[in-house]
Amino acid sequence: MEIKAYLMIKMERKDGGDGERDAVKELEEMPEIETVTPVSGEYDLVGVATVDTPKRVTGVANEIKAKEWVKDLHFLKVEPASPNPFLDEVCSTPGGESIRWCAQCGLCSASCPNVAQMDYSPRKIIALTRAGRRYDILTSNTMWICASCYLCTARCPKGVKITELMHALERLSTRRGLHYGRATSAMYRAFIDSIKRNGRVHELGMMMKFYLLTLSTGKINPLATIKMLPLALKLLLRGRMSIKPTKIKGREQLKTIVERAQALGGTR
Amino acid sequence: MKYYSYFPGCSSSEGTSVAYGMSAQAIAGALGMELIELEDWNCCGSTPYGSTDELEAVCIAARDLALAEKTGLDLVTPCSSCYTTLNRANSFLRQYPELKGKADECLAAGDLKYKGEVKVRHLFEVIYNDVGLEVIESKVINPLCGLRVAPYYGCQLVRPEPGFDDPRNPQSLDRLVASLGAEPVPFPLKDRCCGGSLIIPELDLTLCLIHKLLESAASNGAQCIVTVCPLCQINLDAYQNMVNRKFRTEYNLPVLFFTQLMGLALGVEPKSLALNKAIVSAETVLSPYTKVAEPAV
Repeated sequence: MEIKAYLMIKMERKDGGDGERDAVKELEEMPEIETVTPVSGEYDLVGVATVDTPKRVTGVANEIKAKEWVKDLHFLKVEPASPNPFLDEVCSTPGGESIRWCAQCGLCSASCPNVAQMDYSPRKIIALTRAGRRYDILTSNTMWICASCYLCTARCPKGVKITELMHALERLSTRRGLHYGRATSAMYRAFIDSIKRNGRVHELGMMMKFYLLTLSTGKINPLATIKMLPLALKLLLRGRMSIKPTKIKGREQLKTIVERAQALGGTR
Repeated sequence: MKYYSYFPGCSSSEGTSVAYGMSAQAIAGALGMELIELEDWNCCGSTPYGSTDELEAVCIAARDLALAEKTGLDLVTPCSSCYTTLNRANSFLRQYPELKGKADECLAAGDLKYKGEVKVRHLFEVIYNDVGLEVIESKVINPLCGLRVAPYYGCQLVRPEPGFDDPRNPQSLDRLVASLGAEPVPFPLKDRCCGGSLIIPELDLTLCLIHKLLESAASNGAQCIVTVCPLCQINLDAYQNMVNRKFRTEYNLPVLFFTQLMGLALGVEPKSLALNKAIVSAETVLSPYTKVAEPAV
């Protein structure tokens, strides 16, 4: 998250003239410093710095303090560079940028087959995102019961990619660890695990992993699992469930590709 | 003979929708198509991967696209989810240069390169456009006269991008059903969602969606439902019994893949269409059209 810091600087000896001009120039040459303005009063200069992580704020301050002509430095204010970092985060993901166009007409909510069960309707999710309500959104069930049917996206008169937004919110929720206990998230994990292991999804293995994951969170009643057994048996008898997974030859290649993507930090 | 690179997808290759893969190959020859399976393809990633990590998801789909590019053929898949996922990766790579740059680097780590030239197509669209209804009609030797069929498009064949059919009121599958001699019944929910893979984590929610679909098809007099998607088939077929118990209904609607219905009309050997793999048996409904009726397992 980008941080903006306002720094008050007191000079060792303020004699007007060249000393101050040189000091302003020297500060302006620092990549983090946006502007430097001379002021009168207890302090002599106000510098505005923008840095990409909160940690860097201290780094920049120390760098300025180390200059021999600096007597004292004081933080006036440190704040997020953007008024709505969550909106920026959503907009920076592929497809997410489209939510700026939303006119709040509600056609998405009216089209959604699962809207009745959602904590917030799709229209509300967009309104809350634009209001910066990160925690409320990322802990809601909305995106986890989106069936990716794209009816909202196809119907939106403003071209907002609502389904993509839901996927982006699932990713953000997962990254912040707010997905814990969501059954859909466990299914995703079991699914991806199967791909990473075999190169393809092995349905039986995926299902078993899913039930193990949900049992361990205690969110799904073990009886629900038993209820599925007759169906699993029917599918097995008809040859619709293979016992052994098929593994592709290029598993190592796939692994290399995925690991490189992880090293690049993804575009989550 | 027209050649295509073929991406069966995990469930149609040997999983829950193995009947789809088998019947697709069984009718391809009769339609003058050869579906050449893409060598060593991997899972497209589907919705779960895209909802977990964007870059990884695009990269694993791009591996398939890179492999397909080498063949120089259109990449055809019978699965609506694979179709949407592979197309999504394609359009993201075109739309977002930063993502493309990273994906290129990841593919290069696996000694692959993707220029972005593969056309991803749905098997239904290929049959509808490349073969065409006139040719299909001329090849029908066993017209399915009197069979009332609910044509179920599902979500991801006609959405999200406007494609080959009207996303609001698609007609192509209705026309295909009619060209086989069968009667497409009005089916207002024909492009509504069956819940897809949410059936696993959100069973009750998804059963409600399936119930609405079955009700819409049955109340319009359908004897069977025909689908173009493996997920739609398993949800409507395998979970029909659970819907009946939950809503105290008595639906008994066989759910066929469009390839199976076509195979019957084209006179393909019924055994190769794997009709016996369905949970809701189609035997009674289809008995007038299958000379060799298959026993249910």
